[in-house]
Amino acid sequence: MPAYHSNLMEADTKLVGNMALLPLRTQYKGPAPKETRDSDIIEEAIYHFKANVFFKNYEIKNEADRTLIYVTLYISECLKKLQKCTSKSQGEKEMYTLGITNFPIPGEPGFPLNAMYTKPSNKGEEETMRGYLQQLRQETGLRLCERVFDAQTDKPSKASLCPFLHSMCQ
Amino acid sequence: MRLFIMIQGIAIRESAGVGDQAQRRLMRGVDDLDFFIGDEAVDKPNYATKTEPPLNTPENREYLAEIMFETFNVPGLYIAVQAVLALAASWTSRAVGERTLTGIVIDSGDGVTHAIPVAEGYVIGSCIKHIPIAGRDITYFIQQLLREREIGIPPEQSLETAKAVKERYCYICPDIVKEFTKYDADPGKWIKKYRGINAISKNEFLIDVGYERFLGPEIFFHPEFANPDFMQPISDVVDEVIQNCPIDNIVLSGGSTMFRDFGRRLQRDLKRVVDARLKLSEELSGGRIKPKPIEVQVVTHHMQRYAVWFGGSMLASTPEFFHVCHTKKDYEEYGPSICRHNPVFGIMS
Repeated sequence: MPAYHSNLMEADTKLVGNMALLPLRTQYKGPAPKETRDSDIIEEAIYHFKANVFFKNYEIKNEADRTLIYVTLYISECLKKLQKCTSKSQGEKEMYTLGITNFPIPGEPGFPLNAMYTKPSNKGEEETMRGYLQQLRQETGLRLCERVFDAQTDKPSKASLCPFLHSMCQ
Repeated sequence: MRLFIMIQGIAIRESAGVGDQAQRRLMRGVDDLDFFIGDEAVDKPNYATKTEPPLNTPENREYLAEIMFETFNVPGLYIAVQAVLALAASWTSRAVGERTLTGIVIDSGDGVTHAIPVAEGYVIGSCIKHIPIAGRDITYFIQQLLREREIGIPPEQSLETAKAVKERYCYICPDIVKEFTKYDADPGKWIKKYRGINAISKNEFLIDVGYERFLGPEIFFHPEFANPDFMQPISDVVDEVIQNCPIDNIVLSGGSTMFRDFGRRLQRDLKRVVDARLKLSEELSGGRIKPKPIEVQVVTHHMQRYAVWFGGSMLASTPEFFHVCHTKKDYEEYGPSICRHNPVFGIMS
């Protein structure tokens, strides 16, 4: 039985590598088009995250799924960092740093899922990919901070953090 | 006094006075049988019903007959197949006219789950399917989840705490993602507290019971959560059995089917698989063949937990029982081979 897939794939969505360049609702600058609907890929990833971590196998149905997987893996990285934060402002700072630090893109040795993602074919595509991934990372970090931190105690809520120490392997 | 005993030693009538201790022992041989039945049965021998798993060998039945007639001196013995008794137990939730010994029995206990098709009281052995997910796996999974999150549980009690949580708070949800959001939106309503007592220090410890409530039993429908080798959900396995033996009546039995809404979820998932297949066949035929929609029915009833015992108890209370039992007299005259065959009865009632 498959895990949860992305519903946002459309016929005219542009691709970067073999990931879908889906629109985002974000203030950060980058190659992503502006999203007009309520829900974007990051919202979807966060909504399905808790369920998706339990699935050991994930079937990729379309390119939007690849974007979804990338965001999901990034969310688990963020949560590991957020566990150690003691307040929302500290959390936001950590997320910002994590978002812009040098990260590997598909094709580079550090990228975890090189088997599923194709390398960008030229310099221009590489730039687009790096820009898009950076946008994804920054926006995801920001939204996570909203969700994870308890409004009253200003500490990360127990329920959000602990189940995600599983690693999602493929 | 009638004594009805199950080979797996799980359900024993209270009047026998054997308590919790008996429930944990596995039946391995004559000595165990002695423990369960005790002196009472030997002094006042009564007709006995024994149960056996499907695909049991005739030699086992002979051995059993020997023990019962020689050691325990029962005047009569009937050996019944557990799945058939489970079907009989489902008659409590049906009208008199609908009582049948045909159906697919989904028997889920602590160790393993089986889907067993039965037609007119006879088990169709070649179509039995096993699922390696059962009560114990759910308990381990819950134990894992609790261990990661809760710090108050004493380590040696973590398994029994997980078991208590499973039996008290778990249920089956229609969709895990929606449940997660429900829990996040209103934790006060959904997250329960469990109070346990540390066996050594006698202090109380309090833990939160959250997502485990619906994630535990969910492994029936997503086995990959708990078992990396097995990935077929229970609805797919049951669907396979139905394909091999077209029986539309599904009956649940065993402790691990007691989760709230288990029957409903199974029915819904099965219906989806069946409908998808019918739709596909309609498409492939270009709309020419319009298959008749198939009615999927899962039967649940009050005695599900001890369905096999209850079925045995019901059938043994009918007058027909005494006609089909093998008597000691026959045993002495013809030998244990008479017990190889136990006729099916009760269809007329």
